[in-house]
Amino acid sequence: MQEQFLADKAFEPFLAKLIAAGPVVGPVGKRSQFVFAPLRSPAEARLDYDVTILPPKKLFFPPAQDLVRFDGDKVEGCIEPVAMVVFGVHPYDVKALDMTDLLFKERNEDRNYLAHREAATLVAMTPQKASSRAFWGSIGTGVEPKGHDALLTKVPGGWIYEARTPKGTALLKHGDFASATKEQSSAARKAGLDAGRKCSANLKHPAAAVAHRMKTVFKDEKLWNGLAEDCFSCGSCNTVCPTCYCFDVQDRWNLDQKSGTRTRYWDACLAEDFSKVTLGANASENFRETKGERFRHRFMRKASYLNEKLGGPACVGCGRCSAACTADIADPVRVIDTIMGRPS
Amino acid sequence: MAKAKVAFFDFACCEGCQIEMTNFGDAAFLELLNHIDIVEFREAISEKTTEPIDVALVEGSFTREADRARLEEIRRRAKIVIAFGQCACTAGINALKNHQKDYKECVYGKDAKMPHLDSAQAQPISAVIKVDYSAYGCPVNKYEVLQIVSHLLHGKAPVVPNHPVCVECKRRETVCRYHEGDHCLGVVARAGCGAPCPASGIPCEACRGFVDQPNETALKKVLKEKGGLSERRAEEKTLMFTANQRGATTAKHPEKSPALAAPQGGRS
Repeated sequence: MQEQFLADKAFEPFLAKLIAAGPVVGPVGKRSQFVFAPLRSPAEARLDYDVTILPPKKLFFPPAQDLVRFDGDKVEGCIEPVAMVVFGVHPYDVKALDMTDLLFKERNEDRNYLAHREAATLVAMTPQKASSRAFWGSIGTGVEPKGHDALLTKVPGGWIYEARTPKGTALLKHGDFASATKEQSSAARKAGLDAGRKCSANLKHPAAAVAHRMKTVFKDEKLWNGLAEDCFSCGSCNTVCPTCYCFDVQDRWNLDQKSGTRTRYWDACLAEDFSKVTLGANASENFRETKGERFRHRFMRKASYLNEKLGGPACVGCGRCSAACTADIADPVRVIDTIMGRPS
Repeated sequence: MAKAKVAFFDFACCEGCQIEMTNFGDAAFLELLNHIDIVEFREAISEKTTEPIDVALVEGSFTREADRARLEEIRRRAKIVIAFGQCACTAGINALKNHQKDYKECVYGKDAKMPHLDSAQAQPISAVIKVDYSAYGCPVNKYEVLQIVSHLLHGKAPVVPNHPVCVECKRRETVCRYHEGDHCLGVVARAGCGAPCPASGIPCEACRGFVDQPNETALKKVLKEKGGLSERRAEEKTLMFTANQRGATTAKHPEKSPALAAPQGGRS
């Protein structure tokens, strides 16, 4: 479809109309950082954001998601999707959503995720800034972002809107769009290509070489224990990751002790209890007991185990884990550099 | 099944954890009373009991030898003992006196010599009796206590988090204290509170104690390097709620924990 141009002065009215038409979630400021939150007005949107604390995954797979409500023998599902527009998603997060789409679709379809995902219209946006820990310009370069309904790019004098699906096209009616000129379109393409250069951190090693190397250093306990020495097992790297999708399921009873809710919560494989399993009444076993084993597991998952399934690493280079890690040991760029530089 | 008999007891503490339960208000309590009999609860009722009980919620730390007999007597009468609040779990703030000598003079001045102020090291109640479950926090999280009781009523083992507070901060997208040039103990503190303090711009003080395996060495490092604390402050910082846990791995949960009801299926 032909790209559309929206002049700067027409942008606010477009976003205002979108907000009036239904819930719109976009990046907003939170103290010194950014989060995806429902927009109450166009002025709240911070489209110049670098990265959000949590990825947009939280909109479809929230940190705590009710699965079923029960009352005695009566059980009902809690899938109540809201048709919303998710506005201003950076391409690395689009890639991550594309991965969680696939992972939640395979084998047993996870309707709790997919119903929310399908109800949403995803408007991606070419990043105007990159966070200091971002390296999305150099990871999974062979993996194209897909699964978004439209792509928005800032160009001189306005914005280029490229609808990719009927859902993306449907939003055009809310704005005063004109067909983009050749110059405007090529400015948008250039901005897209240049975006990756905004990252100050870069992964120097190709994904296949990294995946291979991960397997050869798997048993190097000294390496992993050393890398994980300062690890708090706090799971922050998992919790902020756009491609982590593990969860724990718990029941809660209401006061009547008859009705209640079964809820799933984000889990974290770096936390000690993640790998604790029962061995029968009051006995348990932890199959990744040391922090070195848990640290290794995350890197195997991100750089090796899922590569074939996803067509590239299960890491999109958002840099959230690097920033969230208080001990500052989680940065994939540094860890992979260490591993690749290690004599085999 | 007859309603479970539940009793609250207190040792060295402020009884704030009992007060916290009364903050549920009467609506919640009246509903709960359809399922349990509260037979002793000093902050809310005058009745006391010498009868056997199903669940004893024991608040406060063990700091006088004279309390040993009463603790043992409660244990003998109770099917399940829950350490109720941080004083009972780790001796909480009371344990601050364990590494100080002049606390009586500091607090009571000229009255420091009064005989009833004599006490020994503050210890968790698990130093005297077997504890089946723990409700951590200063004060306890009343919603968590309710879930612990609920789980026991349904024959299930209560689920208490063993991950740091960071998980809960990230889930609610709190800007990390360390990102704002502050310090925080959330990295080693047991979660389950919902992380309200960092969300209000206040560092976590680990009022639920440490996780089972706190990385104390790394904690000192980040308190100094990122939190800007001096060597001595970094060393002392965690003492408020975890003085009894320093340098030692937290006591593990007991091997066998009793249940009130027979375990049931996924729901009941």
